[in-house]
Amino acid sequence: MLARVPHHQFYAFVGRCFVALAIAQYALAVNAATPVPVDTKSPSSKSAPVFETHVRPILKAHCFQCHGEEDELQGGLDLRLVRLMAKGGESGTALVAGKHAESLLFERIASDEMPPGEKKMTPGERDIVKRWIDAGARTLKPEPTAIADVTDEDRQFWSFQPVRAVAPPKVKQTASVLTPVDAFLLAELEKKSLGFSPEAEPAALVRRLYFDLLGLPPTPEQVEAFVHDYAADSKAYEKLVDELLASPHYGERWGRHWLDVAGYADSDGYTPVDTERKFAYRYRDYVIRSFNADKPWNDFIVEQLAGDELVKPPYDALPPAELDKLIATGFLRMGPDGTSDPAADQKLARNDCVAETIKIVSTSLLGLSVGCAQCHNHRYDPVSQVDYYRFRAIFEPAFNVEAWRAPKARLVSTTSAAVKKQIAEVDAEIAKVSAERNAELTKLMDETFELALTKLPKDLHGKLREARAAPVAKQTAEQKKLLKDNPSVNITATGVRQQLGVKYREWETKYTGQLDKLRAKRPEEEFVQALTEVPGKPPVTQLFYRGDHNQPRQAVTPAELTIFDGAPKIAEKDAARPSTGRRLTYARHITDGKHPLTARVLVNRFWLHHFGRGIVASPGDFGTLGDRPTHPELLDWLANDFVAGGWRLKRLHKLMLTSTAYRQSSQRTSQLEAVDPDNLLLGRMSIRRLEAETLRDAVLAVSGKLNQKLFGPPVPVSPDETGQVVIAVDTRDTAGRPTSKKVDLGEEPNRRSIYIQSRRSLPLGMLETFDAPVMTPNCECRASSTVTPQSLLLMNSEFIVLQSTEFAKRLRAAAPEDLPAQLREGARLAFGHAPSESELREAAEFVKAQTAALAPVAKAAAAEQALACYCQALLSANQFLYVD
Amino acid sequence: MMQDPTLMNRRHFLATQSMSVGSVALAWLLQHDDARAEPAKPPLERPTFDLKVKPTVHAPQATAMISFLMQGGPSHVDLFDPKPELAKRDGQKIPGDIQYDSPAQTDGSLMKSPWKFAKRGKCGMELSELLPGLAEIVDDITLVRSMQSGVNNHVQGLRALVNGGIVAGRPSLGSWLTYGLGTESQDLPAYLVLTDPEGVPVDGINNWANGYLPALYQGTVIRPREPRILNLDPPPHLQGLPQERFLSYLERLNARHLAARPGEHDLAARIAGYETAARMQSAAKEALDISKESAATHKMYGLDVKESREFGTRCLIARRLIERGVRFVQICTGNQDWDHHSSIAVSLPKECLRTDIPSAALVKDLKQRGLLDTTLVQWGGEMGRLPTVQKGAAVGRDHNTHGFSMWMAGGGIRGGHVHGNTDEFGHRAVENVVSHTDYHTTLFHLFGLDPNKLHFRRPNGEASLTDGKSAKVVRELLTHPERVA
Repeated sequence: MLARVPHHQFYAFVGRCFVALAIAQYALAVNAATPVPVDTKSPSSKSAPVFETHVRPILKAHCFQCHGEEDELQGGLDLRLVRLMAKGGESGTALVAGKHAESLLFERIASDEMPPGEKKMTPGERDIVKRWIDAGARTLKPEPTAIADVTDEDRQFWSFQPVRAVAPPKVKQTASVLTPVDAFLLAELEKKSLGFSPEAEPAALVRRLYFDLLGLPPTPEQVEAFVHDYAADSKAYEKLVDELLASPHYGERWGRHWLDVAGYADSDGYTPVDTERKFAYRYRDYVIRSFNADKPWNDFIVEQLAGDELVKPPYDALPPAELDKLIATGFLRMGPDGTSDPAADQKLARNDCVAETIKIVSTSLLGLSVGCAQCHNHRYDPVSQVDYYRFRAIFEPAFNVEAWRAPKARLVSTTSAAVKKQIAEVDAEIAKVSAERNAELTKLMDETFELALTKLPKDLHGKLREARAAPVAKQTAEQKKLLKDNPSVNITATGVRQQLGVKYREWETKYTGQLDKLRAKRPEEEFVQALTEVPGKPPVTQLFYRGDHNQPRQAVTPAELTIFDGAPKIAEKDAARPSTGRRLTYARHITDGKHPLTARVLVNRFWLHHFGRGIVASPGDFGTLGDRPTHPELLDWLANDFVAGGWRLKRLHKLMLTSTAYRQSSQRTSQLEAVDPDNLLLGRMSIRRLEAETLRDAVLAVSGKLNQKLFGPPVPVSPDETGQVVIAVDTRDTAGRPTSKKVDLGEEPNRRSIYIQSRRSLPLGMLETFDAPVMTPNCECRASSTVTPQSLLLMNSEFIVLQSTEFAKRLRAAAPEDLPAQLREGARLAFGHAPSESELREAAEFVKAQTAALAPVAKAAAAEQALACYCQALLSANQFLYVD
Repeated sequence: MMQDPTLMNRRHFLATQSMSVGSVALAWLLQHDDARAEPAKPPLERPTFDLKVKPTVHAPQATAMISFLMQGGPSHVDLFDPKPELAKRDGQKIPGDIQYDSPAQTDGSLMKSPWKFAKRGKCGMELSELLPGLAEIVDDITLVRSMQSGVNNHVQGLRALVNGGIVAGRPSLGSWLTYGLGTESQDLPAYLVLTDPEGVPVDGINNWANGYLPALYQGTVIRPREPRILNLDPPPHLQGLPQERFLSYLERLNARHLAARPGEHDLAARIAGYETAARMQSAAKEALDISKESAATHKMYGLDVKESREFGTRCLIARRLIERGVRFVQICTGNQDWDHHSSIAVSLPKECLRTDIPSAALVKDLKQRGLLDTTLVQWGGEMGRLPTVQKGAAVGRDHNTHGFSMWMAGGGIRGGHVHGNTDEFGHRAVENVVSHTDYHTTLFHLFGLDPNKLHFRRPNGEASLTDGKSAKVVRELLTHPERVA
């Protein structure tokens, strides 16, 4: 049956998360081509399985929750230790060593009676259990007296081991080693009798570097300058790397990578209301600034986890560097949060917000799916449910669900006292003018009333005056009837307006003008979407039975996960601070350079963005179910070097970018294809498609319309009348219907994509189509799809057609009346190098034929339109969409 | 350098074919035809994702599906599930436990259905007078009266039924089917969603999301008004010959680029993508154009009646899509359209008038065209409604996920059959209970798949629609129960 499953599903099928088999398969698969160490958890067919290594992971995944971990032991049977199995439960002993047929454990598994309901064991897993029993149900060593959630075997897992001090290996092709990175890669290539590919052409190198570091294409002049320098100066490449790392656009490009991991969004998500987060952008700007300033990553992490604990209130007069620490905590405010939507179940929404934040923190910084232990012990990694709630306790004082602060209520004002005073003054003036206006309006209404009276019989006047003067609640039935019978005297503001006509409008304009002027004078109050703790007694964190917040159980205290031995104790309250200090202690601990995951996870991400694939291919999961490193020594060496180099990313960039590996050609060769089709060994570079934002930015850069302004509030998005999300001010009415109102955004729509509002419910059509992530809660690794809607967008969308027209205008302006020069410049701008003569001929033929095709309708504009078609072809071409 | 025969073939192919529009499409078609005979690939090769037709694990009975997503919770006790006991004890307190969404608005008293039920068709299936259209096709449908998800919110209930589990981020049923089966259509996306002019169902795009599957398997929304597909029309000045020339030139650029980069499948796929897109411009237009359908067909789908015209148009479009090889079509009503907490006496007939005749017409039409044998049609919401009254300005009924109804037809589903039963009031499914997982497992069986074997590898492990939850193929729903392994 398996053979009939499509190959990728087959691959998926055998790679399934039933641990032992998956790992066995994995080891086999990887061994075929890569030097990954064989995992110890796969029993060969000859050697007998042992409990700790082979059987426990299976039982942990399938059985422990009911047979050991929860308060109530199902059937009185605990399966966590072999002697407890032998002791058995209500149905007697579960294990008869040597005899699987007599062991209840096996009987229940074999009949599929156990595990009940949910996932069943696979035949492979059952077979391991059977073989283990028959071989005597052995353990590696005597079983402990107490049951531990974390075993010695867990501690052996590669990513929990301390980062090893490794030296670059010796290689044969020493000339290819430009940085130590090369030695590690080459050592593995040489084992397969391979080496690096030749260096890419300089024009390809410069384009690769620009897109990689700035996310923008080089101008033709920049390409030519580099190609020229490259021939003349052996240091030209390094100089270019330095130059690009110093560009302010570097932070925009690399900040975006971090914003993916942090789950950056300008809206709350969680419910369809998807309330805007007006001040989230200040965190985005902080990230860009930090990258540009090459802020050491230990500081960067500490600020994001505990910046509030580093600055002293009040927050309205903080110097910029201090203010940044507060803004940094926006990291912990990125999770989806439904608590501003009254329709959401508040208690659930609050707890979900905390849970989502824990997911973001653990996948981004630890590369561990700690979130999986919210309801029960992690099925695969050594993270117990108690661990989860201890981890939660680190953050709980700032996320007090019992004394929750709604998103708006917890914004921290950074408005200075002077500005606040100004605001109060303007507000007072506004109140004064409004009062004047209202008094006058009352007078006008009275006048209008009297005017209306003159048209009614005199004998009614007195009664009507009385009736009108009486408060509604106190009007007699007679008075009510009187007013109802004489509708003309029921004067409202609208009535006044109708009756007085022009006079009223003049009067109204006078006040509107005054009030508008005052409002324009009112300074904007500035806020930070920060995370802070409310001083006072910290909340108690309790374990939630099966993750259900309605079933709180024992209280827990804050602590690092058990697997990380030797972590400092996290005090419940730091007496020296107004806050608890829990997050600060934790942040300092994971950035102390000794934590086995922090630096590994970070350098792996940096590597991923430069080379297209992480050394560990699952950047957010370094646990059992994640991928194993293709080059474990390289990963450790990089992690050590990063820490030793002061956690400076720009230094690490340079190390990676100046390697032979990075400078290779991306050309596939049959030799490499035969041995390493997935390019795991990096015997060449991989061709990559531009990411969504980079593509949009590059289109704008080439068309000449890119607005390079840095920082600031996001450029708004809105659905247009066809339902597509475009850049525009949302002018829909309260029922969500489109109105014809348009707001001119000036040059704002042409800003870089990182500044475009990122609303979870309204992903910009252009970006979404090209795989920009929607943050739920964050994105650990982007997809790169190739689908038909992308083609339709490049062929027909308003954005591309408009930018192609702008691009054509740019070409005509650069070389008026000289079509060949225009065509040449177009290709240079889009592809980074001049076209060949034959390409140019083809282009000219196309434009000529296209002009003729367009002429019947376009008449005189045909030539211009044909040039725009040429520009659109350049922007839609694979040569533009991909980087070699 | 260039010795790899597969690379050579590709380059050779591209170099020797004329570079007119069509050559790359041809290459893709050739690959497509090969798909069934595709040899096993070594496990190290990066999984490539495509829409080529995939082999099934056993012979399929259904090859396409139309799902009516009637979001909000159609009231089964007023439409599908007659309860004499409910009528008899109208106004009395319901005995036993009951879960409300709005407990403040009820006193727990039973409310009989204001509509009459009668036996229909040869099979004598009892249906409400609100469903005259369905009454005509009862001999072709199986009515399941014992659906149960126990997930009392709209969003989570939908996710259970559409995405197989209540958490966000899971792929929809249609995504799984297109992932597992590929598509017969080369001119149209494999999975299309026909949304309502009044808006999308609760939970929005999650109802057709690819979730963690590649975006290739995402449902493509056909908008409820023109233009029904975005970016489908070239700007006016580029239509026709100018676009042909444009695509032909673009293909030249891309072919030249690819020729220097042999073996880059993604580049080739993108070239093919322009081909499909170009074809889709006209194919999708043609598929969506119902003007050439006969007057009788228009009438049959209720296009001559103001109330049902819009919904009928979408049903007719659905048939045209299925005829053109689309794998999965979802037809949605709007946000909470069936969530009749109040004014049920007015709103439910209104909703039925809009949808009943067209939905039934679709089944009839598929049958007369010989498509019903292989097209599975399913009609239902994420829940039903309580037999008790919900009091407000005008009475309605509250949520009920412990017992509700849905119907299915075609693709190996029995005709004229009623499956399962709720208790005497229509509150809880008590007999032959069908969970959402059973429903998925049964569907997959009919498509020749096993939901627990159609996997996708994720960083955290293997994932599937049912994720190993225990479930059964509900044999009683099938024309051929003997084919269940």
